[in-house]
Amino acid sequence: MILISFDIDGTLEEGDPPGILSMDFVREAKILGHFVGSCSDRPISAQRAMWARHGIEVDFAVSKHMLAEVKSQFPADVYYHIGDREDLDKRPAEQAGFEFLWPNEAMERPWLSCWLAGPRSRA
Amino acid sequence: MKTSPAPASVYRTAEGLGLWEHRGNVAAVGIGHSPTFRRWDGTPENSVGGISLLALRRAMDDAGVNPADIDGLVMDPSTTTGAFWPRGKPLPWEAINAYNRTDEPLDGITGLSADWILANMPELTGIEFTMYGMGCMSNAIVVAAQAIGDGRARTCLVLKSWHNLEGRYYQGGANAGNAIPGSSAIRSLWGTPACFGTAVQFAEYCRKYGKSHDMMAPFIENSRQNGLKFPEGYWAQHRPEEITPEDYEAARWIAKPANLFDNDMPIMVSAAYLFTTAESARHLKQKPVYVLNHATSRTRPRSLTPTLDEVEADTARTARKIYEGAGITADDLSFENMYDGFALFHQFHIEGLGYRGLKFGEALDFYQTDISISGPNPVSPSGGNIGCGRSRFWMHTDCIQQIQQRAGARQVTGVKPEVAVSGGPMPVGGNYMVWSATPG
Repeated sequence: MILISFDIDGTLEEGDPPGILSMDFVREAKILGHFVGSCSDRPISAQRAMWARHGIEVDFAVSKHMLAEVKSQFPADVYYHIGDREDLDKRPAEQAGFEFLWPNEAMERPWLSCWLAGPRSRA
Repeated sequence: MKTSPAPASVYRTAEGLGLWEHRGNVAAVGIGHSPTFRRWDGTPENSVGGISLLALRRAMDDAGVNPADIDGLVMDPSTTTGAFWPRGKPLPWEAINAYNRTDEPLDGITGLSADWILANMPELTGIEFTMYGMGCMSNAIVVAAQAIGDGRARTCLVLKSWHNLEGRYYQGGANAGNAIPGSSAIRSLWGTPACFGTAVQFAEYCRKYGKSHDMMAPFIENSRQNGLKFPEGYWAQHRPEEITPEDYEAARWIAKPANLFDNDMPIMVSAAYLFTTAESARHLKQKPVYVLNHATSRTRPRSLTPTLDEVEADTARTARKIYEGAGITADDLSFENMYDGFALFHQFHIEGLGYRGLKFGEALDFYQTDISISGPNPVSPSGGNIGCGRSRFWMHTDCIQQIQQRAGARQVTGVKPEVAVSGGPMPVGGNYMVWSATPG
């Protein structure tokens, strides 16, 4: 199982400022069966409202400092956090044991190779 | 025309001055706001100069005043506390050259002089008085009110604008260097977050009175709800997001016990008001809102951060000055609009005022009651910086609009809007204004 956490502002097209990752990109990750959600400084209620507006049923929506809690709640083989800030995304993601991806790196979908290899190779 | 900061003699800083000598003889009439933006997009029209021209013209139009009849301009030349043009970054010449410029290339981009405004508003042909009220709209309106009262201007525009650039706030300018003179070296260079001082005071407040940070949640929720009813505000215009108690309690700490939502968000915005004499105001397009008094705190704390004891002593002192000069008591306040950026010091302001009989240590319990615009005890009906973004002027606009009965969905309904107080920024160190529906 793979878990992908998205920052919003500067990362997703819905962000302020808009990022390069589209909502379809998120949908695709969800369709592949990954745990998907947001980790942002936006109010949690606003994160949930954003996902509902786009018809995406996420597994979690949390504040910026709560990645460790996400990790403890969702058993996965690999944890990714995608964001645009060194101090507010990369550092806390790595401290929480997540792999960190800048939005342009995420466009390469590094989780695909893991997913295509199937559960046995991920064990 | 040389423009200087207002001299100390303008401000009513002492107790025992009696009624303000111009009580009820000065009025605010017109309001002009620019749109808000999170950051400058690089276009001339959305530069801080561009949005200021828009706000000024809207204020004159709102009041129904011919630009040629304006004879005074009071404004703040600073347009940021933490967004400075990065060293070595090429200057934005296209935006600079889109307007008549001054000798300072970034005038109109990261700062704003009266000369720049006058060079770009040729319709202001009658200006005879200019002065700077430094730091805040709270300061500028005090300067304008006193100038009108003293007869130095008859019809005066008051302007405060803010710019914001891409990148981190408070990371550039002097903070990017290796040395800063004075106590800023301790406060800024080796850096605590800006809200640290307030966080320390709030922590002591909670200890002293047995309160908790969670008790702030209704205030934050109420402020954002009011702000979302403020069509001029950032959150209403761009991101209509509420802050629920769950959101508030889940937010990360910036300087514990100050969390993310106890801090405001820097934006680009400009506001202008039109002040004139009470006599002239009666003939203009909007209902006059009379100024009953202005008061100022220039108290110097003993050390870098005021202690809670110093804060409480000074807010009480400020309240006495406010009431004495206006000839009112706390019981006369229809509502309060004291500053909130940082949210954790709003209660210091209103406890000092004795708003609705509050004593020190009681505001957080008060926040658990009905503090909405429809109740009998409205708290921060403007929504303040928490509800609208960083400007330090929503509370003044709201006081004027409420008393003019044109606050729209934000109009207070549980009380009759007759007398209000607004001001800030800090509980120790600020400028305050008493507004009234009648001259007194």
